[in-house]
Amino acid sequence: MRKPIVFTSEREMPPMAVSLADMSHNRTGGWRYMRPIYSEKIAPCKNACPVGNDIPRILSLVSEGRYEEAWRLFRQTSPLPGVCGRVCYHPCETRCNRKDFDEALSIASLERFVADACFDLEDKISDRPKRSEKIAIVGSGPAGLTCAYFLAKDGYAVTVFEAASQPGGMLRLGIPSYRLPREVLDREIELIARWGVEFRTNTKIGQDIDIEKLWEQYDALFVATGAHHSRALSIPGEEFALTGLEFLKAVNAGQTVNIGKRTLIIGGGNTAMDCARTALRLGAQPLVVYRRTRAEMPAIAEEIEEAEHEGVQFEFLAAPTAICRRDGKLEVHCVRMQLGEPDRSGRRRPVPIPGSDFRILTDSVLKAVGEEPDLSFLSEHLETSEGIVMERAQGLLERAGIFIGGDAQTGPSTVAQAMRSGRETAYAIMRFLRGERKPKAPQLDEALRVNFSYFVHKPRVPTPQLPVSERTSSFAETKRALSVDQARTEASRCFSCGVCNTCDNCWVFCPDAAIVRTNGSYSVNYDFCKGCGVCAEECPRSVISLVEEEL
Amino acid sequence: MTPTLTGTKKVVTGNHAVSYGAMLARVQVISAYPITPQTQVVELLSEFCANGTLRAKFIKVESEHSAMAALIGAASTGARTFTATSAHGLALMHEMLHWAAGARLPIVMADINRAMGPPWSVWTDQNDSLSQRDTGWMQVYCESNQEVLDTVIQAYRVAEKVSMPAMLVLDAFVLSHTAEPIEIPDQSLVDEYLPPYRPLYKLDPNDPRSFGALAPPDVYMELRYKMHQAMEDALIEWARADEEFSELFGRRYGLIEPYRADDAEILLVTSGTVTSTAREVIDELRAEGRRVGLLKIRVFRPFPAQLVRAALQDTEKVAVLDRNISFGMGGIFAQEIKSALYNSTKRPPIFGFVAGLGGRDITPSVIREIIDYTESHDEPEDLIWVGVKR
Amino acid sequence: MRNFTLPAEELMGSGHLGCQGCGGALAMRYVLKAAGDNTIVVLPACCWTIIAGPFPYSSLKVPLLHTAFETAAVAASGVRAALDIQGDTETTVLAWAGDGGTFDIGLQSLSGAAERNENIIYICYDNEAYMNTGIQRSGATPFLAWTTTTPEKTPKSEPKKDIMAIMVAHRIPYAATATISYPDDLIRKVQRAKSIYGTKFLHVLAPCPPGWRAPSELAIKLSRLAVHTRVFPLYEVENGERYTLNEPKEEPALPVSEYLKLQGRFSHLTENDVEAIQEIIEKRWQRLLRMVRESS
Repeated sequence: MRKPIVFTSEREMPPMAVSLADMSHNRTGGWRYMRPIYSEKIAPCKNACPVGNDIPRILSLVSEGRYEEAWRLFRQTSPLPGVCGRVCYHPCETRCNRKDFDEALSIASLERFVADACFDLEDKISDRPKRSEKIAIVGSGPAGLTCAYFLAKDGYAVTVFEAASQPGGMLRLGIPSYRLPREVLDREIELIARWGVEFRTNTKIGQDIDIEKLWEQYDALFVATGAHHSRALSIPGEEFALTGLEFLKAVNAGQTVNIGKRTLIIGGGNTAMDCARTALRLGAQPLVVYRRTRAEMPAIAEEIEEAEHEGVQFEFLAAPTAICRRDGKLEVHCVRMQLGEPDRSGRRRPVPIPGSDFRILTDSVLKAVGEEPDLSFLSEHLETSEGIVMERAQGLLERAGIFIGGDAQTGPSTVAQAMRSGRETAYAIMRFLRGERKPKAPQLDEALRVNFSYFVHKPRVPTPQLPVSERTSSFAETKRALSVDQARTEASRCFSCGVCNTCDNCWVFCPDAAIVRTNGSYSVNYDFCKGCGVCAEECPRSVISLVEEEL
Repeated sequence: MTPTLTGTKKVVTGNHAVSYGAMLARVQVISAYPITPQTQVVELLSEFCANGTLRAKFIKVESEHSAMAALIGAASTGARTFTATSAHGLALMHEMLHWAAGARLPIVMADINRAMGPPWSVWTDQNDSLSQRDTGWMQVYCESNQEVLDTVIQAYRVAEKVSMPAMLVLDAFVLSHTAEPIEIPDQSLVDEYLPPYRPLYKLDPNDPRSFGALAPPDVYMELRYKMHQAMEDALIEWARADEEFSELFGRRYGLIEPYRADDAEILLVTSGTVTSTAREVIDELRAEGRRVGLLKIRVFRPFPAQLVRAALQDTEKVAVLDRNISFGMGGIFAQEIKSALYNSTKRPPIFGFVAGLGGRDITPSVIREIIDYTESHDEPEDLIWVGVKR
Repeated sequence: MRNFTLPAEELMGSGHLGCQGCGGALAMRYVLKAAGDNTIVVLPACCWTIIAGPFPYSSLKVPLLHTAFETAAVAASGVRAALDIQGDTETTVLAWAGDGGTFDIGLQSLSGAAERNENIIYICYDNEAYMNTGIQRSGATPFLAWTTTTPEKTPKSEPKKDIMAIMVAHRIPYAATATISYPDDLIRKVQRAKSIYGTKFLHVLAPCPPGWRAPSELAIKLSRLAVHTRVFPLYEVENGERYTLNEPKEEPALPVSEYLKLQGRFSHLTENDVEAIQEIIEKRWQRLLRMVRESS
């Protein structure tokens, strides 16, 4: 950059108006009142992901065929990509910006693809700090496993107590294998164990081991016992009904359960769907009775669709009022419902229509109207208030060193929510042990503005499915993996919202040549940037923000 | 076959003398648009280019404005450039004449003096060239075909020395279409006299520069000062060029040329071909014993004010013959001469005559009339129309 | 994702005097990238007279000759002739003129140069009015646009002059349209022009945010919309005969209102006005398609 040329005499000047220097003395940056800054945004998918998977970067790696890097990136936020790629309700896809252009990315399928492609890979057990503190985790569901993983990665000695004979919690007990093959779960638990996590199975809290004792022996305690207690129907004859969860646990454990030819499932949640589809696979004809309409069903939409697809029957706007034995079968008395005013959940409250009683004859009844946590093992001077363990006697907000999370805290939720809870708890435990405060998380804007001009329409690659005819005869996984080509094609559809993928647009479109490209990144030369805003406007993915220049 | 044309005597028109001059100067880019009475200049140059006598690019443009613009482009790229035009063509070039001078480009042009329309006229007078007086072009008025040829060569020499464009001026038909025997100088001698053009700066990708950018008030005036300085230098350079020319070729013309002026009581000032007629008349009058002389102005821009002053200040009366008119004022040479003498201590009375506009003949009797009038009047007059039918 | 691959070399330096979001500056940047450093630019009066910077500076890293308004093509012819006679047939001579210097005052010398098939590239960066002098209408100003000499009550009553048709009628070896939102296309066309002997003409639409009364950040978007609405289709014509359509490919086109509504110079338009504009666009588009069909 030069200084301006000042002629003090005509003798210093050339005979004609010939240039002697470039214009770099002229700092046009002074014209600017808006300043472009590179500030990556959080992609809506990532923002929506309870686990916080860095989806845009992962998909970018997949599109380049860099699967191992993609897998390792998943494992920075989640120990269970193989599980999540199959069972997560993928709120990421719901928020995907691409849905406003053509169709959302098939993120779940891609997560599964990466996990499958990297099935044989292992974490690099790097040098970890050696820490003396021991942590007990009660429950080995997604919350417990995730918490264990992050604590162990940070050098803590972690022991996980599990009531069942194998770790996995609801992943193993509640989710049917046609959705989650057990070898996938086993492998991901195995990888967690490699970090030194000790699993003590067949050890039930409050029965085989006392919580107060654990609290004395360990430096911190995480209660992640899930929500296994089925809610009651509170109708006459309820005792004839099997709980849906017990049914699933039994089937998933390989036990034989006789539900007869026709089975009636009460409820509209995920457990109900799993029960219905499992019943189908056992050769039964399931009928789901739900008191609201399809639109209000709390189950994941995809699960409902799959159930319908496979031939599950539904009876909407019907509520059981009693169950009776009749001729070796069960007679379920129902009343027709209609939707009234919205209730607290925002869904319209079902109201019985007087005189609309009807009856359904069935071989068995499975009740799946929700589960709740059973925290009866807490000692008498502990209680929970909205999921926080509190000390009754001293009235402290939080019992030092005892944490509770996952479904045990929130009631039945999703795998991903439980994992988020597990991870957050892991960090809370670390802070507790180190006496640190919770850092203020940087506030990132969500990248909602995508410049569609730079993208070409490309349909979403559908997830390959097992044909329906082959589905109901076995517990084989219904979804299949994407092929390599499909995965790369699909991943390349990602807009990379909020994440610079060095597309060059800012550099290309700067009328002032004020964008500096160095080794795959960019910076603004503020000496010359006039603040026109073209770079921000033409950034396909909202990486550049315009902020007001301070005068 | 390429005929050998140099170092020989040849009978050529004034127009062809221009062409020979340009050819001998080894011009590299020619750009021109046809206009009577200039056309023969470019016709012969086209022949020269076509038959290889001259290695040059000839851009046959769609207007004189473009002709000059093309040369500005070419000269800025380091080429020696040439064009010729007349009257309306020159007027159309006006903007680019300023451009060429402001860009300090040593373009050389022949203007065949033709009267401006309307009404249409193809015959000679000087209003076309004199209208371009303030564009920054050097102007040299020629009297003979030999002078025409020689002036083309001299013009490049001076123009390239001082980085200013030059226009040589010759009367329509009287010179342009009149054949005279002239000597075509030897090419090698011309080459010795006129080395290839080597500009200080040019359009060159190896030394990228801009030319002619906006000049703010804090620098514009200095650039104009330098142009004027270059014109002042040009006075010396014309004298030097003429001197060296005479050493090589045996001919010299001066910036001005006094003729039988030493003891003259009346000095007649002329330019262009009328000078030759005036010489005859002066000789006759001298034979009659009258003390009259002649001063030919050859270099009009830069104006050799000191030379003019020295030549005129000791005479008793000055008669200026203008073949041009600045409406509302009078003859333009007369004005220049008056202003040159005004700051002199000795200021003879000056009679301004306008004659021969639009190609009307200026015969010996017209010149005699002018001398008689000057002799018989004591009070000078700014504007005396000669030959107007009243 | 559409990605652009541009030559890295910057022959237009920072610090130039273009307004925020100047389409003309961007066009120059691309064109020089494509033309390379062995290029001489000839520049008549236009916005770039200012943008390039005052004496003693230049924002271009190639030689630049400022010349009078109406002389771009012919001054370039002179440069070409001088280079040729000095044995340099390699250097690219690039005349760079605005729409006023091309459609209006410079059309004569451009026609002359084209008729002589001068070996130059002539680029008209078209911002659709005399922007440097303060937004006065030119022959390139679109139908019904506001300018300072076509006020809202009497907006421009004539459609834009079809400069491409004029140039194509000269049967020059190559004529093409291009714009700044398609830099790869623009660069390809300059490189193509470089490879052809004779007069090459590029008509480059260069949005002018101040003159079009639009926010500076929309410069590229406006250029893109001009293409997508068929206001400014991108095409090439070889030897005055062979037409190739490059963009837009999308069917159907966006309605012209999408383009007009972002610009203050069209804010006075009624629905009927917009329809009338749409009709002109459709007519020209059909003619272009016909030419493409006939030449294939």
